[in-house]
Parts: sequence; C-alpha cells; structure tokens
Amino acid sequence: MLAPILRNEWRLLRADRTLHLVAALLAILVAYGVYNGSAWVRFQSNALDSAAGEEAGRLAAMKTAIADVEAGRSNPPAFADPRSPSAAGRSLGTRWASMPPTPLAALAIGQSDLYPYYFRVSTQSRLSFAQNDEIEHPVHLLSGRFDLAFVVLFLYPLVILGLSYNMISAEKESGTLAVTLSQPIALRTLAFGKILTRFLLVALLGVALPAAGVLLSGADLSAEGAGMRLLLWIAVVVAYGAFWFAVAALVNAAGASSPANAIALAGLWLLFVVLTPAIVNGGAKLLHPVPSRVEMIQAMRDAGRQAAAQRSELLAAYLEDHPEFTVSRDGAMADFATIGIVTAQATERAMQPVLERFEKQLDAQQALVDRYRFLSPAILAQAALNDIAGTGVHRYRHFQQLADAFHERWRQYFIPRVMKREVLAPPDVDQFPAWTFEEESLAAVLSRTAASLAGLIVLSVLCFAGAAVALNRYRVAG
Amino acid sequence: MISIIARKEFLEMTRDGRFRWASVIVSVLLLAALLLGWQHQNDVRRQHEQARRHTRQDWLTQGRKNPHSAAHYGVYAFKPTMPLSWVDRGVDPWVGVASWLEAHHQNDFQYRQAQDSTAVQRFGELTGATVLQLLLPLVIVLLTFGAFSDERERGTLRQLLSLGLRRPDLALGKALGVAGALGFLIVPATLAGVLALALSEQNGALLADGGRILGMTSSYLLYFVAFLGVSLAVSAKAPSSRAALLTLLAFWIVNGLVAPRAAADLARLVYPAPSAFEFANKMDAAMKHGIHGDETPEQRAAALREEVLRRYNVSRLEDLPVDFGGIRLQAGEEHANTIFDHFYSDLWTTFRRQETVHRTLAAFAPVLAVRSLSMGFAGTDFTQHTHFAKAAEEYRREIQRLMNGDLAEHGKTVQGPYLQDEALWSKVPEFTYEAPDAGWVLSHQASSLVLLAAWAAAAAAAAWRAAATQRVD
Repeated sequence: MLAPILRNEWRLLRADRTLHLVAALLAILVAYGVYNGSAWVRFQSNALDSAAGEEAGRLAAMKTAIADVEAGRSNPPAFADPRSPSAAGRSLGTRWASMPPTPLAALAIGQSDLYPYYFRVSTQSRLSFAQNDEIEHPVHLLSGRFDLAFVVLFLYPLVILGLSYNMISAEKESGTLAVTLSQPIALRTLAFGKILTRFLLVALLGVALPAAGVLLSGADLSAEGAGMRLLLWIAVVVAYGAFWFAVAALVNAAGASSPANAIALAGLWLLFVVLTPAIVNGGAKLLHPVPSRVEMIQAMRDAGRQAAAQRSELLAAYLEDHPEFTVSRDGAMADFATIGIVTAQATERAMQPVLERFEKQLDAQQALVDRYRFLSPAILAQAALNDIAGTGVHRYRHFQQLADAFHERWRQYFIPRVMKREVLAPPDVDQFPAWTFEEESLAAVLSRTAASLAGLIVLSVLCFAGAAVALNRYRVAG
Repeated sequence: MISIIARKEFLEMTRDGRFRWASVIVSVLLLAALLLGWQHQNDVRRQHEQARRHTRQDWLTQGRKNPHSAAHYGVYAFKPTMPLSWVDRGVDPWVGVASWLEAHHQNDFQYRQAQDSTAVQRFGELTGATVLQLLLPLVIVLLTFGAFSDERERGTLRQLLSLGLRRPDLALGKALGVAGALGFLIVPATLAGVLALALSEQNGALLADGGRILGMTSSYLLYFVAFLGVSLAVSAKAPSSRAALLTLLAFWIVNGLVAPRAAADLARLVYPAPSAFEFANKMDAAMKHGIHGDETPEQRAAALREEVLRRYNVSRLEDLPVDFGGIRLQAGEEHANTIFDHFYSDLWTTFRRQETVHRTLAAFAPVLAVRSLSMGFAGTDFTQHTHFAKAAEEYRREIQRLMNGDLAEHGKTVQGPYLQDEALWSKVPEFTYEAPDAGWVLSHQASSLVLLAAWAAAAAAAAWRAAATQRVD
C-alpha cells in the first residue's frame, strides 16, 4: 500500500514549482557558503605557509650569522649575538607552533576566526606570545560567517518546514483527505507515506549538502580521517533534518490549519535556533562569569613587580635548586638573561592560579552548555559540526596543550644553555626542538559527536512518536 | 476617520491572544537583555575605573630607573565602556580590552571577551540591540501581515470601502493602530532606559548623552517605520494572508540573519585584509628598510649623527651638550611612528572599505543600516574603537617624547647610569579620554542614516500606494 502513496507524493512534489525554486536557491546558498569556507581555509593555509617560510629563512640566516661572528666578519652587541642561547630562544631561533586546517575545515568556519591558529613560541611567558589574533573586522566576528554550517543550521530547517508544514493539513483543507481515506487505507499509513517521501528527500539533501561542500571546496578525502569526518558530518545533517521534519509531523498531527501550522513552526524555529542559544549563552555567563581580563592584566603587572623586587632572593633560591649553574664558564655572577629567566618564572608561578580561575569558569560554562544543549537541536548540531570540521573549541584546547608542551620543551632546551652560558655553533640550530602538530584522535571526536548525534536522534524519535499518537485522534473532516 | 480606524486596530490587537503573547515574550526578553546589559556595563566600568587608577599608581611608583626602562615598563590603556553600551554592546566583545603602551611598539588591543565564551555565543547574544533589531520586527510582521489580506478574505474590505473611506486613510489608520500597540512594548522600555541613565552614578550622563539617546531612538523608529511600511504593502498586495506571511517571514530572515553574514563574507572577498603574519612581517621589514625599502638602519643612524653634530656645531658625539642616546631613541620612535601610521591607516582604510560593502547591502537589508547607527550612537562601533586606539597611541607617543627628552637633556649630567624617579614620572599627565559627541557620530554615520530614512520613506510610500491600488476582492 505504501508504494503507491510514495509514488503519488513524489509526483506531487515534483510538480510543485516552488520546490524547484527553493532547490535552486539552496544550491546558490550552498555554493556561496562553501566558497567562503574554502577562501578562509586558503587564507589560513597561506598564512601558515608564509610563517613556515619565514622560519626556515630566519634559521638559515641565523646559521650564516653565527658563522660570520665565528669568523670575525661581524661583531654584534651581546643582546643580538646569534651565538647566544638567550637571543636564540627569545627571538632569533624561535619556531612557529601552528594548527593546520582539517580536510573538512571549509565546511564550518566555527571558532577558527576567533582563536589564534599559529604563534611563535619563545622562552618568554606564554602570555607574551599566544595572543596572536588574526586580523579581522570585528563586525564580521560579531555577524558570524556565511559558511555551509550556517546554511545547515539556519536555512536547511526552513526548507524542511516549507516542504512539510501543510503536508496533512492541506489535504484536509482541500477535502482530498476524506476522499483518500474512504479507500481502504489507514490515516497512519497515508501519513507515514507522506512523511517517508519527504524524509527521503530531506535525507537526500542531508547527504547532498556535505557532499557538494566537499566537492566544491576540493577537500582531500584521501587525507587521514577525512572519510570518517565526512560520514559523521552527513550523519549529523541527516539527524538534524530528521528532527525538524519530526517537529513538522507533530505540528501537522495536532490538527490545526495550514497557516496556524506555519506560524507555530516558525515560532519553534525561532525558539530553537535563535532564542534558546541566546538564553543558554546568557545563562552560562550569568551563572559562571569569567573573571575580568582587565584584572588579570593588573595581577600580571603586580606579579612582575613582585618578582623584580625580589630578584636577588629569587636568583639565590634558583641557584640553590640548580647548583650546576652556579659556577659558570668564567665564574662570573649571573647576567641579565639569567635574571630575566628567573623573574619570568616567578611571575608565571604567581599568575598560575589567576589563569586557572579563567579555565575553571570557562569549563563550567562549557559544562552548562553541554548539559543544556539538548534543549536546542541547533546547539547540538553546531557543536557537532564544528567538532567534526576541526574548528570547535576542543581542537583549539588540544592545540593549546600541544603548544604548552612544546613551550616547556623549548625552555628545557634553552634555559640550561643560557645558564651555562653556552655558545651556539651553526649545527646547533638544527637541533632546536621542532614543532609538529599531532592531530587530535578521531576517537575523541567520535565520542563527543556521538553524544550530540544521540541527542538529535532521541529528540526526533520523541517528536515522531508524539506525531503517531496524535494522529490517532486526528479529525479528518470538519 | 483615521483615528477611528487606528482605535479599532489597536483595540483588536490588544484583545488578540497572539499579540498579548508576543508582547509578553518580547517585553520580558527586552527587559532581561537590558538588565543584563546594565549589570554588565556597571561591572566593566568598575573594573576599568579601578584598573585605570592602578596602572597610574604603578607608573608613578615604579621606583628609580632609567627613563627608557620606565618607557619599557609603560602603562596600560583600558578601553572604557560607553554610556549606551548596555543597549548595544556592538563590537566590544570582539575587540581586545586593553593595549600595553610601551616603548617602540604600537600594540594591538588584546583579550577579546568573546574568546572567554563558549561557541554558543556565535548564535548571537541576547542584548537590547538583538531584541530591537531582530525580534521586534518579527512582532510587527505577525501583527500586520493580515492587515488588508484578512479583511479582503473576510469580505470586510469591500464593506469598509463602500462607506466612502479613502483607501490611504485606511492604510494610515492601520499603521497608527499597529504603531500604538507597538508603543506599548517600546515606550516603557525606552522610559526605563532613560530613567536608568538619569539615576546612573555618572552625574549629567543623561544630559551629556542626550544626543546619542536621541540618535539611537530615531534610528530605531525609522527602522520600525520601514518594517511597518513593508508589512502593510505586502499585506495589501499579496494574493492571500498566507502568501503575505510567507513573503514577510522570508524578508525577515534574509534581513536579520542572512544579510549580516553575507555582507561579512562579501566584504572580505571584495576588500581582503592582510593576515596578522603578513601585516607584522611587512611592518618589521619597513622598520628596517623604510616604507619604500630603500634605506638601511646604518644609513639612518649615520644621517641622524650627522644632523645632530651639525645642529650643535660640534664634530664628535662626545662634545655634544646633550645625551645622544636619548636623541637616537626619540629618532627611532619617530621613524617607527611614521611606519605605524602608514600600516595602521592602510588597515583601517581596508576596514572602512569593507564597511562600504555593508552599507551598500543595507539597500537590501535595513538591519545593516540600523545596526551601524545603533552601534555608532551606543559608542560601540569600530570607528569609535579606533578613536580610542588613536588617543591611546597619542598618549604612548607623548610618554616616549617626555622620557627620551629627559634622557637627552640630562643623561650626560651624571657619571654612571642615569636614573630618574617619581619627579619625572609624574610629569607624564594622566591618560584621559573623551568620547566624541553625537554630532561626530552622526558625521560618520550620515550615509547609514540617509539609507535608513530612505527605507522608511520608500516603505511608507509603498504601503500608501499598495493600499490605494489593492484589489478589493
């Protein structure tokens, strides 16, 4: 019985002129979104390439400069001596820590325009180098970007609702519902057929959108994990579409007129996509306010002053802990660079609890959002899509952790050399710690996405079940 | 006659459950948003006030040191909150909160508040501006989509017109009725806002910001008139209520959600800004080799030496009556300043050009015009951010001039290291910033205001015309 319904519905949908128009419009929006995403990824890749080129050039020039000083061809002042491990670790020999975009990054710009994705790691405090914000008109950050994720989160539900807001009510209003049901067919079967046809269309869109995205952006699917990420993206888009579709079915089953359905669905869209996220965001900030960066800057200044005032005590304490540095090559007392390192470390120790407060509050905000994201499928989908595209907050955290570990390694390499007043030779330059970005494990992405995906599926099933129950009480005529 | 129609519309609306619900929800959201904004602004103002005193104290009590060390220690400039930022936070969360004013560098503002938020922030924040720009127009649409089409479908339009009623009067009456109902929503919020300002801790805030309040209120009124006009016109012209509603919802979505994002990306494509890496790198190269890349640091040093020797009519640096170190440092600052001015003015020009793209698109989406005006009058747009950034940079340069001038003048008078103390530090005046007035804002926002007024006028005319020429059944 189902097959004729499907065939008939499909014929009706195909004959609908507006549907063709909507499909064309959607294609244009998708193309524009993917074009923007790819342009942004290209911009990021170019910036990373230039940074890598700059690093290679600078290190090669450093080798030549060291050779020149060794051969007596130049005689720079002490603070700019390329042979000095202090100058090398602080500026001349530093390396870029960078996070390359994932193969699917063009599909969701996410938080990648807000957080730094490359910075130069030096022996100085992390606060001095990790704030390498990309240049962007702040109004663009405020508006958000027009990428495929935007099309999926905001516009794709509208297409689905436009397709299905009157799928049953229209037949009732034109009187064909009673006629059809005079045949030996149950309302539920008919409704199921209508729902299934449209759902197949929605699922097709759900596959087509990401697939078009990948094709248009020229993403490299042979890259590690790319196929898996694409499958996850598709799963989230289909599940998100299924939710909106289930909501439309539920509203239709409630039995109101087509205009009333349209208004109710527009209201639900507004509630889930615009209002709930804004309220969850406001609530998170109200309940777990992040301390002020203005106060952090003050704390940093105070800690720096404190450390500077006690620098002789700090130095004595440090040398007590590290007796191997006490007697240096020429037996002289520690110099400027040593004092700098010791006070910087004391400042950082004092700042540690302040910075931890930021992380703690931000974690609390994130936990609250994670808990209440089930209130809005849009939040669920946004978190998942960003995560899969590698532009969500988790991958940035991962990058920060790698950068912190690298920073530590960098210091462990240079600080003892500064203390022992070693002199660098050209081959030493190749021995400087090198940065490699180790991709976040796909299993972690999978487990986080699975929760969002499960949330979307549960919400959809609930709505469909509600629709099935309500259909039992549906008044076919009158 | 017009007033009778307006009264009828008003009465009908206030008795309508839809309107009651919509207005309750929007009022609650508006009040909550304004309250949150108010509280946030007071918090930030307190922190900034304290930080401003603290950084001044730090500067004065930094102890005995060389003036150039003091210049390196520097001060922080904290971005102040503007009186109306509680209505519209604008770009404030998306630019840094403070800039370190130190020797040799014009530092960017660091620590964007948005970086200390979750990704949900990207859906948009609940602020007064969001409610006014996004939600109130939706209420207007819901109230008016059936204004004519409903009457036509019920057949009452023919009856009404048979009474000899002029059609434009009907349109005007309906518009006034809806406006009156909306007034119920907006007027209390506006009054509460003005009252809150009047009671705020800053004396004379209301008087000082009267122009800004007026500008912001007028901008939003024009915006609402535009939406009202478009809605009435569509309601008169659409074949059915359903078509009117769908058309207006589509317009609302394109205007409020699609256009701002489309404008952001289009502006980036048309006028690309450099990457942070490229910007810093080019600036570094220019520091060494000049803006045109045709000089070396050695050449500049030699030229300065020669010029100074000639000015003091001596042949050796040792014979100078002044300290050459101080002169060299100041010359370095001035060289760097020309480069900062060159690169930042380039960057800010690019940003301004990007804004022209936003403005051009405002011809299709009035929200882009009202957003710009609202941020402008709230003092939270990018233009006013750069106004503050320039003032801070000017102050940084003044510190350098004073420190290097002192070093040049007195650096030679002592044997051994030259140290200074609070006597010199206190010669640096405290950093004060005066925000530009409403007239200044208006001069930067003229085109947006003209566009928005054009929108309002065109929409009103369209409603008038559509009402006059609409089908009766």
